[in-house]
Amino acid sequence: MLRRNTVRVAGEGAVTIMFAHGFGCDQNMWRFMQPQYATRYRTIAFDLTGSGNSDLSAYDRVKYNSLEGHASDVIDILDEVATGPVVFVGHSVSSMIGMLANLREPSKFAAQVMVGPSPCYINDGSYVGGFSRGDIEGLLDTLDSNYLGWSSNMAPVIMGAPEQPELSTELTNSFCRTDPEIAKHFARVTFLSDHRAELPRLEAPTLILQCTDDVIAPVAVGEYMKRTLPNSTLAIIDNVGHCPHLSAPSPCAAAMDDFLAKQGL
Amino acid sequence: MILRVNQTFCAWIGRTEQQLVQQHRFQDLLTMGGRIFHQTHWAPLLRMQGSVSEVKLEVIHADGSKLPMVLNAVRREIDGKLCHELAAFVARDRDRYERELVNARKRLEDLVEETQRLHAEAKDRALFAEQMIGIVSHDLRNPLNTVSLGASMLLDSVPEAERRTVERILSATDRATLLINELLDFTAARVGNGIALTPRAIDLHASVAVVVEDLRFTYPKHLLVHEREGEGAAVADDGRVSQVLGNLVSNAVAYGDPAKPITVTTRGGQRPELRVNNAGSPIPAELQPQLFEPMTRGTEMGSKRSVGLGLYIVREIARAHGGTATVTSPVDAGTTFTVTLAP
Repeated sequence: MLRRNTVRVAGEGAVTIMFAHGFGCDQNMWRFMQPQYATRYRTIAFDLTGSGNSDLSAYDRVKYNSLEGHASDVIDILDEVATGPVVFVGHSVSSMIGMLANLREPSKFAAQVMVGPSPCYINDGSYVGGFSRGDIEGLLDTLDSNYLGWSSNMAPVIMGAPEQPELSTELTNSFCRTDPEIAKHFARVTFLSDHRAELPRLEAPTLILQCTDDVIAPVAVGEYMKRTLPNSTLAIIDNVGHCPHLSAPSPCAAAMDDFLAKQGL
Repeated sequence: MILRVNQTFCAWIGRTEQQLVQQHRFQDLLTMGGRIFHQTHWAPLLRMQGSVSEVKLEVIHADGSKLPMVLNAVRREIDGKLCHELAAFVARDRDRYERELVNARKRLEDLVEETQRLHAEAKDRALFAEQMIGIVSHDLRNPLNTVSLGASMLLDSVPEAERRTVERILSATDRATLLINELLDFTAARVGNGIALTPRAIDLHASVAVVVEDLRFTYPKHLLVHEREGEGAAVADDGRVSQVLGNLVSNAVAYGDPAKPITVTTRGGQRPELRVNNAGSPIPAELQPQLFEPMTRGTEMGSKRSVGLGLYIVREIARAHGGTATVTSPVDAGTTFTVTLAP
């Protein structure tokens, strides 16, 4: 199981922080965050089954047909490697995976941090998720045409960084690349999921990191989350894009430190 | 924010430089699917490794149509500020080609799915048919028993002139019962838990001698020879052994040379064995592997043969004992079926 999800543990501390990446990439997304927390906490990073370097043969379409499948993986990993209370830091879709894991076994978790979360990506009546079903079909098409060469090992989509050759060998082989069919399946599961009904049941203190300009998780969605989660704090990060932990790691860490201090963690 | 753009790009997407520079971000020009892909894939990549190549996206033309483009991007520092240089190429042909590939794959997937569905359906139907055979055979036994019992009772009371008719009824019901038992064994082996067995310590020589005697009575025109090899002690189900022998001898009678003897050989011990040999034209080599499959017959149809389950049941009885059923048919030594009754 630790191999299935390429689980990596760093640091020691009374509290465990688990970092979960979102759709599209893998645990490398946490490279600017995890090291600074590993000095004070036990930190866990992993690849969701079907992403990054995870064991693709373990991707069971029935199990992972909803985010619950990934949530049960989270519990399994925590059972194996966590010590003490757990702060779950999830990006994008993993915010919801963390919430589902928390609802299954609340006693395991001390707090949740959600980076650019959205409980539902599709517009529904007065709820504005930001997308229509047609948009998601468009994404699947884009995925299709960008992964065409994947299985036959043709020219990788990702070119190496010439100035950092050691990085490029690492990245071109694995980063952000996975089986195109799995990527499409996961995209569908992610973007068609709707977990608005579970939000009011999450009792754990929750920090929402909301970017000022994020096409995937618009500010309106962050505000909806804040209104609906019983015990939440909304922190606005001045950032364009959906990955503030990459493009604005310092403000993210500052908001997180503040939140963790208030929780006494 | 777009800082600079060349005329070619402007012409491709039907907008002027003034409309783009300082007015739009590049991702604003993309379809929604492309924007999500930008946010989830190439923006983080660009951030982490400073460049991306061969990303395929659709850019929206001023008239609302979608223009497939391939994009390379690199991050540079110009005057202390981070900028991205993007090179875009129109990729209509690649797009068409890709669509063909994707459609071809889709068709193939549909085809495979359809084939799998048909296969599963056929399997279901076959299983259903085999179960049906079992049920019908089982239910036929009762009325047949009634007929047989009634005929036996009539045998002694009817006038001499009608006795022949009653005897024919009796022999017909006996044959029907035999067929039904074969069908029941067949369904037990195919869809049930295999042929049921009650093995016990027997003298194989003695058991087979009794059966051979009965068979001589059944086939009075044929010469049946019984040869014993070594000891006779064996552990086996003697009822099933006599069934095996009955099937093999009836085959030998049907397909063998009627003028030559049929030889039954028995051997007891740890690995009990039963052989039936007959002279006659050899079984072609290409037919031999399927001989033990249900519904397989020799080239000449034996008038006495039933539904072609005899050898299948022989093999299944051998298997139920842990043994095997094999055949050899060289030109000069006749056809020999060998059944072993232990692993």
